[in-house]
Amino acid sequence: MVKYYPLIPVLAIYLVMFLIGFYIEGMWQMVALLAFYCALGQSWNIFMGMTGYVDFGYVTFIALGTYGMALGISYTHQYEWLGIGIIFIGLILALFLASLSALLESFIALRLRGAYFAIACIGINEGLKHFIEGARIWGGSDGIIFYGALIQAFGRETSNHLTAFWADFAVFIIAALAAILNIYYMRSKIGYALTAVREDEDAAKVMGINTTKYKTIAFLTSGLLGAAVGAFAWGVKLAHVYPGDVFVIHYTIECIVVVLLGGAGTLLGPVVGGLVYGLSKYWLAVVLPGFQLLVFAPIIIIIIVVFPEGIIGFVKQKTKSTPLARYII
Amino acid sequence: MALLKLENITKTFGGLMALNDVSLEIEHGELIAIVGPNGAGKTTLFNIISGVYRPDKGKIIFEERDITRMPAYKRAPLGFGRTFQIPRPFNSATVRENVAVGAMFGSLAGKVSVDDSLEIADRYIELVGLEAHKDKEAGSLTPVEKKMMEMARALAMKPKLLLMDEAMAGMHPKDIDEMVRFLKKIKEKENIAVVSMVEHVMRAVVGLAERVMVMHQGSKLVDAKTEEALTEPRVIEVYLGRPPDESK
Ligand SMILES: Nc1ncnc2c1ncn2[C@@H]1O[C@H](COP(=O)(O)OP(=O)(O)OP(=O)(O)O)[C@@H](O)[C@H]1O
Ligand SMILES: [Mg+2]
Repeated sequence: MVKYYPLIPVLAIYLVMFLIGFYIEGMWQMVALLAFYCALGQSWNIFMGMTGYVDFGYVTFIALGTYGMALGISYTHQYEWLGIGIIFIGLILALFLASLSALLESFIALRLRGAYFAIACIGINEGLKHFIEGARIWGGSDGIIFYGALIQAFGRETSNHLTAFWADFAVFIIAALAAILNIYYMRSKIGYALTAVREDEDAAKVMGINTTKYKTIAFLTSGLLGAAVGAFAWGVKLAHVYPGDVFVIHYTIECIVVVLLGGAGTLLGPVVGGLVYGLSKYWLAVVLPGFQLLVFAPIIIIIIVVFPEGIIGFVKQKTKSTPLARYII
Repeated sequence: MALLKLENITKTFGGLMALNDVSLEIEHGELIAIVGPNGAGKTTLFNIISGVYRPDKGKIIFEERDITRMPAYKRAPLGFGRTFQIPRPFNSATVRENVAVGAMFGSLAGKVSVDDSLEIADRYIELVGLEAHKDKEAGSLTPVEKKMMEMARALAMKPKLLLMDEAMAGMHPKDIDEMVRFLKKIKEKENIAVVSMVEHVMRAVVGLAERVMVMHQGSKLVDAKTEEALTEPRVIEVYLGRPPDESK
C-alpha cells in the first residue's frame, strides 16, 4: 500500500477544491475550471509524461468526446424510459469515437518518432475538423446544439443541475480516476516499459519490451480519459458543440503547459500545474482584462526556466531523503 | 544441439558490406571472444543476432528455431541478453529499476511480478558490486559503472546467450581481470553462453575465451581454439599487427 501513498495528496487536493466550490458562494465556476485543467493535465500526462512523446493532436480526443456526448443525447433523448441512461450512452459513444481515433492514430502515428509524430497528430486533428465541416456530417460547421434535447429529456430544472453542477462533478471524478490509473501504471510493468521507451526506445526493444504495445496502452488510456473530460466539461456542461470550437490545437498547448509547469511524468505535477495555470489565467483575466496573455506568457516562461523539471520535479529533488518523499512523485 | 546458428549472414549498409557471408555456431555455455579491428563488423553481428537489424541474406537459428525475421522484443524472452558498446542505460530510472527491467522483460517475462523483479535486480546489483549506487539515477553513473549496470541488467534477463559488446574497453587491467573472473563464475553457475566482443584488450581474450573468432572487413577470418587462433599468422597480421603476448 505504501506504493500508493502519493495518491493521498492528489486526492486530498481534489477534495479540498470540491469542498471550497460546493460550500463557498460563487466559487464553483473557478473550481470547475481548475478541475478541468487538472483532469486534462493528468490524462495527458499518462501518455506524454511517461513516454516523452508530445501529442499535439490530443485535443482530437477531447473534441470527439464532446461529439460522442452530443450525438448520444440528441439521438436518444426522446426515449423517456432511458432516463439518465442517455448520458451514459453519450459517454460510451464518446469513448468509442476516441478509441477509434486512438487506434487509427497509434496505427499511423506511433510508428513515427519525435517531430513526425507531433505533425501527424496535428494533421489528423485538422483533417477531422475539415471532414466534419466539408462532408456536413454531425451538423457540419453548424455543429450540434442539444440543450433542447436535455430539457425535453429531463425538464428544465434537472437540465440546469446537470449542466451547472453534475458535469463539473464528473470532471472531478475523471481527474481522480486519471490519477489512480496514472500511479497504477507507474507502479506496474507498464510504467517500467514506458520509462524505457522514453529513455531509449531501441535499447528497450532489445531488452524484450514490445514498445508499440505499451505505447498504445498509454495512448489509449490517455485518449479515453481526455474524451471523458470532453464529454462532460464541454458536452454536458455547454450542451452544444461546433467543430471550429473543439478541434483547436490551443487546448493541446494548454495541456502541455499544465504538465510542464507541474512536472512531466510526476503524479502530483499535473494537479499543481493545473492549479497554477488555471488560477493565474482566471486571476489575470479579472485584474488585467485584455492584457492577460501579455503577462501570462512571461510568467509561464519564468516558471519553466526556474523549474526545468516542473514545480513537483523541483520539490521531489528537495524532499528526496525526507519522510515526505513517499508522498510525492 | 547448437544454441545459436548463423548461416551465411550478409548485411550491407548502402554500398558497404558490413557482414559478408558469416557463419557461426555457438554451443550452450560456451565462452567465445570475437575480435577484429575497428569497422570489422562486430557490433553489426551483435545487432543482427539481437534483432536490431535484419540480415540481407542468411538465416539465424536459435535452439532449432528460425528467428531470422523475429523482432528484437520477441527474441529477448527466448534467452538473449546484451550489453552495448556505448552503454545505453535508461538514464532517468534508478540502477535498481534499470536492472529490474531486465528481469521483467527477459526470459522471466510473465513469470515474475514487479516486486520479484526488484528482488532479482538487487541480487545482480550486488553481484556486480553496485549496491552503493542502486538508488542513484543510472545517468549519473561513471562509464565503468554503467557497463557494470548493463551487465547486471543483461544477467537479470536470465539469458542463455549473453552478448557483450566491448564490455572491457577502457577498463583498468585490474578491473579487467576481475571482470574475467566474474564472467567465468557466471558462466559456470548459470550455464550461459557468453559471446564477448573485445577490441584491443588481448588480455581479456586470453583470460576469458575458449574460442576466438577473428573478423576483418565483414568476413570471418579465423574461428578456432584460443591458443591456436592467437598464433595464426593471419591474425597477428590483421589484428594489431603485433604478437599477442606483448600486451599481456
Ligand atoms: N547503421 C549503420 N549505417 C551505416 N553503416 C553502418 C551502420 N552500422 C555499422 N555501419 C558500418 O559497418 C561497418 C562495421 O561496423 P561495426 O560497428 O559492426 O564494426 P565494429 O567491428 O563493431 O567496429 P568498432 O571496433 O569500431 O566497434 C563500419 O564500416 C560501419 O561504419
Ligand atoms: Mg563495435
